[in-house]
Order: sequence, then structure tokens, then C-alpha cells
Amino acid sequence: MSSETTTGAFEPTPSTVERLHVAGLHAPTDAVLSVRDLNVRFNSENGVVHAVRGVDFDLLAGKTLGIVGESGSGKSVTSLAIMGLLPPTAEVTGSVRLHGSELLGLSDKAMCAYRGNDLAMVFQDPLSSLTPVYTVGAQIVEALTIHNPAMSKQAKEARAVELLAMVGIPSPKDRLRAFPHEFSGGMRQRVMIAIAIANNPRVLIADEPTTALDVTIQAQVLEVLHTAQEETGAAVVMITHDLGVVAGMADDIMVMYAGKPVETGMVDEIYYNPRMPYTLGLLGAVPRVDVSEKSSLIPIEGIPPNLIHAPTGCSFAPRCPLATDACLEGEPALLPVAGSGPHSAACIKSDSLGQDVDGHEVFSAPPVPVSRFDAIPRNERATVLQLNDVRKHFPLTKGALLKKRIGTVKAVDGLSFDIREGECFSIVGESGSGKTTTLLEIMEFHKDQDGEVVIGGISNKKATDARTKSAMRRELQMVFQDPTGALDPRFTVYEVLAEPLQNAGMDKPAIRKRIMELMKLVGLQPDHVNRFPNQFSGGQRQRIGIARALAVNPKLVVLDEPVSALDVSVQAGVINLLDKLRAELGLSYLLVAHDLSVVRHISNRVAVMYLGKIVEVGEVDRVFDNPRHPYTRALLSAIPVPDPHLERTRERIILKGDLPSPLDAPKGCNFATRCPVFAALPAPKQEKCLTLEPPLEAAGPSSAVQVLEAGSAEPVDQRFACFFPDGELDEEMLVVHDSAEHNAP
Amino acid sequence: MTNLNAVDPAAVAQDAHLENADVVIGKSTIIFRRFLRNKTAVAGLVIFLALVVFSFVGNFFTTWDKETIDPFNIGMPPSAEHYLGTSQAGIDLYAMTVEGTRISILIGLIVGLVSVLIAAVYGCTMAYFGGKVDKVMLFVLEALIMMPALLVVAVATSGGGANFKQNLPSWLLLIIVLLIFSWMGTARLIRSLSMSLMQRDFVKAAQYMGVPPRRIVWRHLVPNIGSLLVLDITRGVTGAILAEVAFSFIGIGIKVPDVSLGVLIGAATSQVQTFPWMFWVPLAVMFLLTGSLAMMNDGLRDAFDPSSSSVGKARKTSARKNRAEMKTP
Repeated sequence: MSSETTTGAFEPTPSTVERLHVAGLHAPTDAVLSVRDLNVRFNSENGVVHAVRGVDFDLLAGKTLGIVGESGSGKSVTSLAIMGLLPPTAEVTGSVRLHGSELLGLSDKAMCAYRGNDLAMVFQDPLSSLTPVYTVGAQIVEALTIHNPAMSKQAKEARAVELLAMVGIPSPKDRLRAFPHEFSGGMRQRVMIAIAIANNPRVLIADEPTTALDVTIQAQVLEVLHTAQEETGAAVVMITHDLGVVAGMADDIMVMYAGKPVETGMVDEIYYNPRMPYTLGLLGAVPRVDVSEKSSLIPIEGIPPNLIHAPTGCSFAPRCPLATDACLEGEPALLPVAGSGPHSAACIKSDSLGQDVDGHEVFSAPPVPVSRFDAIPRNERATVLQLNDVRKHFPLTKGALLKKRIGTVKAVDGLSFDIREGECFSIVGESGSGKTTTLLEIMEFHKDQDGEVVIGGISNKKATDARTKSAMRRELQMVFQDPTGALDPRFTVYEVLAEPLQNAGMDKPAIRKRIMELMKLVGLQPDHVNRFPNQFSGGQRQRIGIARALAVNPKLVVLDEPVSALDVSVQAGVINLLDKLRAELGLSYLLVAHDLSVVRHISNRVAVMYLGKIVEVGEVDRVFDNPRHPYTRALLSAIPVPDPHLERTRERIILKGDLPSPLDAPKGCNFATRCPVFAALPAPKQEKCLTLEPPLEAAGPSSAVQVLEAGSAEPVDQRFACFFPDGELDEEMLVVHDSAEHNAP
Repeated sequence: MTNLNAVDPAAVAQDAHLENADVVIGKSTIIFRRFLRNKTAVAGLVIFLALVVFSFVGNFFTTWDKETIDPFNIGMPPSAEHYLGTSQAGIDLYAMTVEGTRISILIGLIVGLVSVLIAAVYGCTMAYFGGKVDKVMLFVLEALIMMPALLVVAVATSGGGANFKQNLPSWLLLIIVLLIFSWMGTARLIRSLSMSLMQRDFVKAAQYMGVPPRRIVWRHLVPNIGSLLVLDITRGVTGAILAEVAFSFIGIGIKVPDVSLGVLIGAATSQVQTFPWMFWVPLAVMFLLTGSLAMMNDGLRDAFDPSSSSVGKARKTSARKNRAEMKTP
């Protein structure tokens, strides 16, 4: 097939044999699920959206296929098309064969025989995929009843208990009668997996199963998925945007862009030898948590194409730095790449790309910006924000009429830290650790707070009159997590940016001038000021949010998960921008993020929070390379790394259970209930953990560190709260995946 | 500079295209276009405007007015001299209908607009301040809801409001009483809507910038419930007209010598058999008035509702493509 004839939907459909050859995947004989030339079109008011354009793959039993792509690349639509869950208005063509029998075109009723039986799905949001009014047990039993009407009630119940135990829910027999709201997010996702594997499916489709979860919980759920696959021998389709998540799990990877697979192949081939510029960009756009060397991330400029118009050339060409005129002539077909293994790429230049090509050069990643403050020692810089023993306790009451205080939720419990000029300080921790409450305590400072918040040298205790308050406000601005929600949809960009300036009392010409400056500063076109936020992409909206925060020239910008709502490729651009602004304007950041790779990439110092307390704080490379607190160690080991070899061989600490309810927080060390070190300690030492609260102290004499630091007399910027930082880890919580088992055919 | 600011040629090309196609249109334009696409709504608007025009210029087509008695034509059916006949008192019915329509529209518009405005400010204030302010204001609101509006109207317009009545015409008094009792439901709705808006980040962002509360309510909350407000205005106008007609019909609303559609209908009910024109003409006008508003309301709802089906009927014109590209810039 020549590339001239491939113009999306309008090409004549080639024979299956030819398709197979093009797909370059396994022979279809022993495939559990084989998808051929899957096309999905939606009729929208704007025209026909061609959401999936010719997807081919074969799935072998016990194997995992990772489908990777940005939002809107058609990965979820593909999975829904296979499940037959698309609305009837969608036009699905092609072929989906399960064990050789065609699924496409079956009626909804006929599909029901397959769904939940041979085909099962785990959805992204565990909070909304379980019915809140039925017990978890009833929902598992329901899945069993539908496909096994002959099964006895006792047998079903026994099977439900077995399933819950398999996915790692403690005391499964009692939990059967619990309602979904009694479970945490991670637990609910486990229940979802239990329901999905209830009937031993042949194919398990997991659509972003861990995106809504914390890293530690993500590690647990991925582990459960792994066990589930081993138990059932099912083939798994893992859909994700996170290249790290699939690196350790998948056998094959399919990278999708604009509804079309642009690169397919064995996992190692894709990660170590990408042949398509898009894959190259995606791999370079993810910050690495295990690398301390600082280099800018690869931003992929532009936005994915509109799928209403059939692409005339390569759909990635407008964003591709290597694009030439040849790329615009016809969409390149997915062709096998010269070299080892089944590996295909849809790029006319795939042969010139290979192992030795550096993504940073291809995408001309910006140089690492250097701040003028970097040269000045930290303790000689001015303090921008200081927190002294800040506490936020919420009373927990019970009873409708007479409110009885039954306990206290210590959301933030005695927090002290300071941020100096030109540095980025990050707070990391699971949800529920008090990160957001800390931010709120800072943003909503008032004089009756428990503890002291000093912003730009002014204490909150002195913030009595409006003038002092607004002086403090001007030093401190915030960028929100959701760029869409943070911008008033009825304001044009001009109005959005003018608001803080008007509030600061600037006159009109000055405001105009400043807005033009700001637009340039954050890399937006100044003539776009009259547009509304909904006319921008997510990344651009976040840039507007950053511009608004910078409008009044603050010293400190509070970033609440600034990139977690953005696609990987866009995320890189925003992170680079934040890095650049910090260097150029001498800003300080207070960053809250759950993505530790991002934190490592842009922060100078980091604090790890657990149940309202800082358990470890220090210089970012020191904390990440040599974590002392067991929680930090667990947190770091939970992060998947986009490197298949490393991912398969490294040992991981899988924490047991969830964050305990703040109500029954232990008296001594908060972390004792989940601590891998504590579990391995002898009883007398455990006693100490349970009764005494470990203070936050500078790194003590650890033999390994002592040797390293032998020459330097300088105190190390790392403090942690643990009595036994070098204790042995409990073996039960350590997981190592055997790489041999994973690579077996 | 880094390539962060580098401009993507493709994006520029697209931008140029977007600008040429005049894509950056305000939301109001889109809403207007969608409204125009709904033929029923446009018909409603035309009927309503025609009635408004009729109520103002209708007087110029007749020499009679609503006070002059024609002693030679008492209770006469429509004729060349009296287009719609005369009442039992010998007053020209056409002149009275014109006058009555005007009063009814006036009452409807004023009550509809002002009550929604009161509701918006009251509801947003409750939601913004919350806590004690919310509790007290909610109590006042509940108390008003529980007050029997009918009795208050009866008392105010007849005996109890004697001292008001000397200064105010009865229609103005009715407007005031209707206003007092018409905004509570909307206010509650707006309160709950604004409370969910308060959770949105852009309100928090404004608070953290130190924008004063008054300005946040006016600039962020009110515009964002704007579509609901417009819908509520048309609904409120209809409701007020119907309330006026109902009150006047049972004799506690507008008082003679003022006329309104309700007064005309009420006066004619007892003799529908003998003097049918006196009954049917004002009734038909009232139906046209409320019917046209209902038709408009339907179109407005479709225009404001982003997930409405009215969009699906769009023709494949450039206007439609423009909108498509606007949504996915």
C-alpha cells in the first residue's frame, strides 16, 4: 500500500491478509480477541467525527496490551466499541472477533451474553461505577447470577467472598454486606476488579483504572490487576495516558494519535527504540522520578487535530518538528519497522529514527533556565513565607439535635516550614494527608488562626485591617488545579487578567499594557485577549491561570496540582513555563502535587506529609535519592517509571490498606499502622513507635550517609520523623516481579 | 527566549482561518441564533411585540376613550363605530381592551423583571455570605412563602390600604403586592445554584485576589446564573399577568376606573350568553399574551441550554461550521 492512497476512511478496504500484514502483529490463530479495521464515527452537530480510524490488534491469552494516547485519541472509544457499549448513534465498522466469533453487529441482548462473562471491563472512576444503594456483595452476586443462573445461593456467596479475598479486601466475609460508600476509592476499584473477574473473563479491559487514585493505592491496584490476570489467565487491554503505568505491565504497546494507531510493538521496542516522533515526544514529556539530572521536558506544541475533517497528510505533522512537505502528502500507513521484533510505526521517517535519536534534540527542548537566586546560599535569601506551628482541627460531632463532640480530625497538626526567595517548595502526600488544608490555611489567613503564617514579612496576627491584608494578598497568588473551573466562563481573557489589576487600583492604560506583557510572558498570543476561556485548550487555559496569578507581581505563587488535569504532552509545556518563570522573575513556588515525578522535576525542597504532619522534609534530591522515613520510601517506590526493564525488576513496597481515618490515628507514630518497618520490628521497639511521637529531626548517623558525608561539615538539609529509619522492611510488603515470567511467550 | 513562545505555523494558519470566518463571536450571538432557529419562539416574540405595539398605538384608531360613555350605544355588539362593541355602561370596548392590555403588560413586565432582580440579588447574597446571614435571610424568605398572598392582596387593594390608595393607582398597588410575593421561589433556586457556583475555583480565585464580596456577587455570580434569570423573567411575566387576571377576576386586583384584561373578563362572565363579545375579546387577548410568552420561553430554554436538541436542526451552513470550530479551537 502506498502512502498516497491512505486517506483515512475513504480508502478502499484492503483484504484481511493485507491488513494483518500492515498491523504487523501476531497471527490471528491463537488470539483471544482480534480487532480488524475498527472504525467508529459519531454524528455530531458539527459533522461526522471519525473517532477511531482503522485499529487492528490481536490479543493473546495472558498477555497485556497497553493502549497509550492523549485524551481524544480514541483509546476509550476503542474499548467501548469492543464492549458494544457505544450509543446506538455511533457507527461502528470493522471486525471484533472473540475466539473467532464476530461481536460487531450483535444486538445489545446478544452482547449481554459476552459482557461480564467473556469480556469484562474496569472503569476509570471507582466512585461512580458502583451502585450506591446495593451492598458490594449484592453487586458481585448480581454479576454471577446473570451468567450462571443455575448457581446456588451459597455457591455464589462463597465465590463472592473468594473474589473479595483475591483482590485483597480484608475480612471479605463481613465486607460483603458493606455499601460502596463504606469503602475508599482504592477499595472500590478492587471491588470493581472483583466484579470484572467474577466469571473468569477471557478479556479484561481496564480503562484508566488507576488515574483517579493515589500513587500508593495505584501500586496496590496494579498489583491486584496483576494477580487477577494471573488467576484468570485473561488477556488484558490496559488503556492509559501514563507511560509509567504500562511499562511494567504490558507486553505490547499501541500508541494512538487522532484515532489511529501510530506505533505498535513489543513494550521494549516502544520504550527503547521509538520510531515515531509522537512516541518520542511522549516519552520525553514525562518527568522521571528516578533521575536527578535536570533537563527540560519535551513539550509537544499544538493540539491534536479535529477529527471532523479527514486528514490529508500525517495527522501529527502540524505538531511534529521533523515534518517536511512529504509528510503532508497522504497519511502514512502503519508499516513494519526494519529491525527486530514485531514493531510498526506510521511515519515516513521511521527508518531514520532509532535508538540513538534524542527526543530532546528532535523537539528542541528549551535549555534549563537558571535563576539568579540559585547562586546565593539558601540561608542568605529572604524568607517569603513562613509557617509556625499551624494547626487546623475540625471537631467531629454526632447527633442531630444535641451535637456531641466525639473526636477531632487533625487535618493539619503543627506544621512549620519556610520558603525562601526563588525556590520551589513542594508538599507531597496521599489525598487526606492535609496538603490542601495547608494551602487553604495559607490562602485564607486570618488573625484568629491557630499558628502563625508570615507572608512577605507580615504575620497573620497583624492582619487586622484591610490594608495589611491586601498587602499580604499581593505577595501571594494561586494557580488552581482545574484550569477550566478556575476561569469564569463569562469573562474574556482580558477581563480575567484585568480583575486583579483593577483590584490593585491600576488605571486603564496601565492595565492594558500589563495584560499584553502577561500574555507574552506565558507564551500566549496577545491578540487572543478577546477570546473566552472555552476557546482555548486545557494547557492554554492553565497558562491564562498562571498569567492571572502573576498579574500583580507576587513573590510567592501557590500551585495546587497545576498540571494534573492536563495531558502529558501539554503538561511538559506548562512545567517548562513554570520553571522558566521561576528563573526569570525570581518567583517562589509552593507546589502541592501527587505526581512525585513532577515534584522532583521542578522543586528545590520537598516535604512529605502524612496525616497532617510532615514526616520528612529536605532538599529534593536528598529526599528522593536517600529517603529515610519508611513512608517516603513507600511513596517513592510506588511510582511507576516509564522504563520497562527497571519497572519489571525493581522491588516495590506495597503499603497495606488506606490512609487510616484521622479519628483512630495512633497515639505514637501516625504511620505505625501501615509501616513496613514497624511490621518487621521486634515487640519492644514496636512499643516505642506506638507510644512516643517521633520528632522531626535532622538526619541522624546512618552509616551509609556518614561515609558519603565524611568530608563535608555542612549540615544536611533533610529532616524526618522516624525512630528506626534504617530498619528492615517487612517482606510481605515487598513485591518483585520476576522479569522472566513476564517475558515468557 | 525558549521555544515556549515559538509560534506553531499550523496554529497560526488555523487562527487566521478562525479570524476570517469571524469565529470569535460572543455567546449572546450564539444564543440569538439558536433562538431564531426555533420558529415557534420567533412567532411568539412577534405576537408579543405586536400586542405591545397594539397596546400603545391602538388608541389612535378610535375616537373613543375608556371613560367616555356613549349614551346611544349601551351593550351593543361590534359595529363600524365601536369596533368591538360597547359595555353595559356604554363605554367603547376597543378602547378598554387597548388600555387593559397595556396595564396587563405593564404589570407583567415590571413584576417579572423586578422580582427576578430581587431574587437574584437576595439569593446570591445568601449563598455568598452563608452562615448566620443565610439563616436569617432564609427565615424571612420562608415566612414570606407562608404568608397567604391572596388575603394580603385583598386587604391591601380594598380596605386595609386606604391611605395608600389615595396616592397610588390600583395597578401600582397591585404591582407592589405582587412583587412582594413573587420572588421567593426564584430566590431559593438561585441560592442553591449560587452555592454550587461558590465551590467553583474562579470564585475562590477572586476571593484570594482580595476582590470585595459585593463585586464577586455582581461580577461572578449573577452573570453565571444569567441564563436562568432570563428564563425566569419570561416565566415571571406570564405568572404576573395570570395573577393580575386572576385577582382582578375575583374582584380584589385592579379596581374600576382602572381597567385591565382581568377586570374586563371578570365583568363579562355573568353575561357570556347575552353579551359574548365582552367576554371573548379580552380573553383572546389574554391567551395571545400568555401564549406568546410561553412560546418564547420554550425557545429561550433551547437557546440557553447547551445540550438542547435545537442545535441538531442546524443547517449545514458556514455559521454552523464556525461554531463547531469555536468549540474545539
